[in-house]
Amino acid sequence: MGTATGIIKALNSGVKHLAVKRFTLRYPEQKLKFVGDGYQFDPTTGVGIAGYKGRHMLFHDKCTGCQLCAIACEGVAEAIAMVKVPDTWKHNKKAIMPQIDYGKCVFCGLCVDACPFYALYMSNDYELSSFTKEGLIYTPSQLQVKPQVQQDSELIIDKRGARHG
Amino acid sequence: MTEQITPNSNGQMPPGLQLEKVDDRIMTLNVGPQHPGSGHMRIIVKIDGDYIVNADPDPGYVHRGEEKMAEVRNYILNIPHLERPVIHDSCNILYPYVLGVEDLVGIEVSERAKYIRVIAAELNRCVYTQYWLAIYGIFLGHSTMFMWPAGDRELLIDLLEKMTGARVTHSYFVPGGVRNDVPPNFEEVCLRQVNYFEKRLKEYADIFYDNPILKARTEDTGVLSTHDAIRLGTTGSVLRASGVDFDIRKKEPYDVYEELDVHTNVLKDGDSYARSKIPWLDMLESCNIIRQALEKMPKSGSIRTKLKPNPKGGDEEVFRRVESGRGAAGMHIISKGQPQPYRLKISPGSFRNLIALPYLLKGEKLGNMPAVYWSLNYWPVEADR
Amino acid sequence: MSVIAPKFRLGYFLKAIIDNIFWVIILVTLIAIPAIQIVLFYMDLPVIEGELLTAFLAFTWLFDPTRQIPLIKSLINSDFFRIAAFPGFGFAALIAAGTIFVERKMLAKLQLRVGPFYCGKVEGLLQLAGDGLKLISKEIIIPAKADKPLFWVAPILFVGTAAAFVSLIPVAPGGWVVADLDVGLLAVFAVIGFFPIITILSAWSANSKFPFIGGIRALHQMVSFEIPLILSLLGVVILTGTLNLSEIVESQASFPWIIFMPIGAIVFFTAMLAELERIPFDLPEAESEIVAGWLTEFSGMMYGLVQLGSYVKLFAFAALFVTIFLGGWSGPIFWPPLDEQIITEGVPIPNFEGDPVLTINTPGLPLFDEDPNEWVQQKRGEIEFTSGQLFFSGTIWFILKTVAVIFFVLLPRGVFPRIRIDMLLHIGWYKLIGLAFVNIFIALGLLYAGVLGPEGFL
Repeated sequence: MGTATGIIKALNSGVKHLAVKRFTLRYPEQKLKFVGDGYQFDPTTGVGIAGYKGRHMLFHDKCTGCQLCAIACEGVAEAIAMVKVPDTWKHNKKAIMPQIDYGKCVFCGLCVDACPFYALYMSNDYELSSFTKEGLIYTPSQLQVKPQVQQDSELIIDKRGARHG
Repeated sequence: MTEQITPNSNGQMPPGLQLEKVDDRIMTLNVGPQHPGSGHMRIIVKIDGDYIVNADPDPGYVHRGEEKMAEVRNYILNIPHLERPVIHDSCNILYPYVLGVEDLVGIEVSERAKYIRVIAAELNRCVYTQYWLAIYGIFLGHSTMFMWPAGDRELLIDLLEKMTGARVTHSYFVPGGVRNDVPPNFEEVCLRQVNYFEKRLKEYADIFYDNPILKARTEDTGVLSTHDAIRLGTTGSVLRASGVDFDIRKKEPYDVYEELDVHTNVLKDGDSYARSKIPWLDMLESCNIIRQALEKMPKSGSIRTKLKPNPKGGDEEVFRRVESGRGAAGMHIISKGQPQPYRLKISPGSFRNLIALPYLLKGEKLGNMPAVYWSLNYWPVEADR
Repeated sequence: MSVIAPKFRLGYFLKAIIDNIFWVIILVTLIAIPAIQIVLFYMDLPVIEGELLTAFLAFTWLFDPTRQIPLIKSLINSDFFRIAAFPGFGFAALIAAGTIFVERKMLAKLQLRVGPFYCGKVEGLLQLAGDGLKLISKEIIIPAKADKPLFWVAPILFVGTAAAFVSLIPVAPGGWVVADLDVGLLAVFAVIGFFPIITILSAWSANSKFPFIGGIRALHQMVSFEIPLILSLLGVVILTGTLNLSEIVESQASFPWIIFMPIGAIVFFTAMLAELERIPFDLPEAESEIVAGWLTEFSGMMYGLVQLGSYVKLFAFAALFVTIFLGGWSGPIFWPPLDEQIITEGVPIPNFEGDPVLTINTPGLPLFDEDPNEWVQQKRGEIEFTSGQLFFSGTIWFILKTVAVIFFVLLPRGVFPRIRIDMLLHIGWYKLIGLAFVNIFIALGLLYAGVLGPEGFL
């Protein structure tokens, strides 16, 4: 009776899995941990450093307002526009810096690849929701703030199955 | 004032029009885009009782004009754009593009970059196939088979996110290599998770592939013979389930597939059960390939060959193809010496398989429609581009 | 979410409260109080201790501890309590709600995920209440060309028939069944035969293609599995010689019938899964070719009623299985564990003057009968058990057995895919009827060999 053994084996497999631990990540209480600090790019070697592509971080003391990030993004998503900033820096005589519209950004990271001055990195922050569309446009001073993330949950694989702990 | 169009004296209609008799027995069902059993596509099904008389697929709901939009971007900026047809399997749909541009510009890629590309491509294939298997389960009413592949996919997406920085649409391959190196202890983490993933895959046999109800439901339905499979031009797992031994990784190897031991899975039946089993066997094979590639990868080396600022090819065209999750994905690039491609044609695997659908569904029972339709490994977004 | 909540203003808040109070007062005065007057006018008031129990007398007695007990006892023995609360609809709805919760969490554990865990602080206990509130708040959309009277009445008929089914099943010894019929099993078959009619009515009146196909499939499925359902129970009827469900349970005091009729139990279980439209037989309901079958056009609380009726039907079928094959309420008496002294002398609870007043054989104590001579005695051992002990223990055994059967009904949902209509009809008409006949032959063989039945030695 091939059918009967098949049915019993399927039921058996189902009951066995009642003892395996659940795999779900309980999101707001547990958040996944990422390797490193975020995606970065080294213009001298021309190679990126592995990391999560989240919200950007702009270093005001390195950005010269060269607009290469905006030019790179024009072909992809048109999410970067250059705006005037009130503070004057020695290396940024035009006093312009990028503002990023996260309603349009696709988080591809080509702007980070384009920056030759080590000024634009990506960080681990991905919780960017807001109630208005204008709230999604991050000005250069907002991009300067280092994100406070509390991510500490990892994938654990042991005898009782895999779970997020 | 409307004019009535009737057949002429020979019984023929004007070109492009078809005369259809409205019959009391035949009911037209619109398995449309808003339906839990169809994806982003419409199938117009005419049924007579329980048997399908005619099935007419209607793709095109997700057409975005990707090929035209690719003509205004240069070769590097095309990368986030051209990976959008299949977001899970983005490395595999981008692979022929990257290989083609490397041929046009004329650069060599280092060994380590080739191995990393192979690992990323195999991981992407498994990710896509798990998603496909999940939807196959839910079409047949098996909710556990929806949750298990979707959950086990997380193991691999976790690896891809450590490697590339994004869970889907990675934008990882560039002409010349890959964008960033793998993180420090990636090899052991990858090995551990891929081993556990393989163990989980073998659990599917008891509950799904050896389940007598599944076998009774999908065996001997939608049989595609070997001759028909070759004549209709199908590709990928559909072809291998009908007895044809064709895998681009062995027939026209690219990157480092010549040095890896790839075994092609072939089944001779050609029915829906075989077509649903082949991707699972392919996933077990991919785990082997990843393990071999992790062993043989050179421990250090450059991963990206530097390109000149605005890469452009000469006045030539190039065609490369690659074995993706759905079949042969190809890319035909025509360049005329500009930084933008002159014309770009994506040849996806799913569109090639769609031609078999009206042929297979004629005469089938209505209950077999989801099983046959989704077993053709059809991804609507990629077919419409 | 694009709505920004307005700022709080005290004037608006007070106005809202006064509005609500105004409406509550109007509704109570115009509707609730006349309804209560009408009910009290027509209700039969019981006579307790020689006094007619009007509403004012009832309220007076409620505050006197020595008088509360006859009041509660008369309430428990009334018909209304039996229909609405204990072996009737309230009990079934409670178990149905528990089944839905357990089903979601058990399937989630099987599928390696967490079920509902947010609503209700502990692992999603209040999720069902949240779903119910959501369904009530949705608009009920009726298709323009549907047959409106039939379409509105179908879910209500469904719940009504499921409740009628529940009313036939005995739960505890001592006559705790809403309708104690001598032809109880035949009445069960009659009620089960009504379900396909409701399904095809609601499918046809929706006047749309997908419900049409779903309704025809549901009709085929339910009708073709009624015959194996009835035939598999005939074995037990032959061996007990009665159609009364309470007597069938009492005949299983020493052994359940499943030991002698395992094939009948399997046939009944499979036919039960098909009548309930559970996976693997849920073609009419949740398909990927016919959107939701005959439930497609239901929205809002109509869908909620159909789901409630479906789970109440699940409880009723499981209870029927337990009654006929697993022994109903029989089992060792273990609760409440009372010893002799409490039975004869009682538990002293002082009243206001300090005299002990409460014993187990107090007349009027609910669920414990007055006359010790009427206490039912158990066959094993010489201990006398009060009817209250039998009641509680029997109920607990019944609930445990029903929960076990419901677990086995819920398990195939996680393990099997859906079956196709022609395979389903093949199983229903060929295989199951054959096995049911084999079962009847076994029953006849056991009867004529003198092993079981009225003359048997067991």
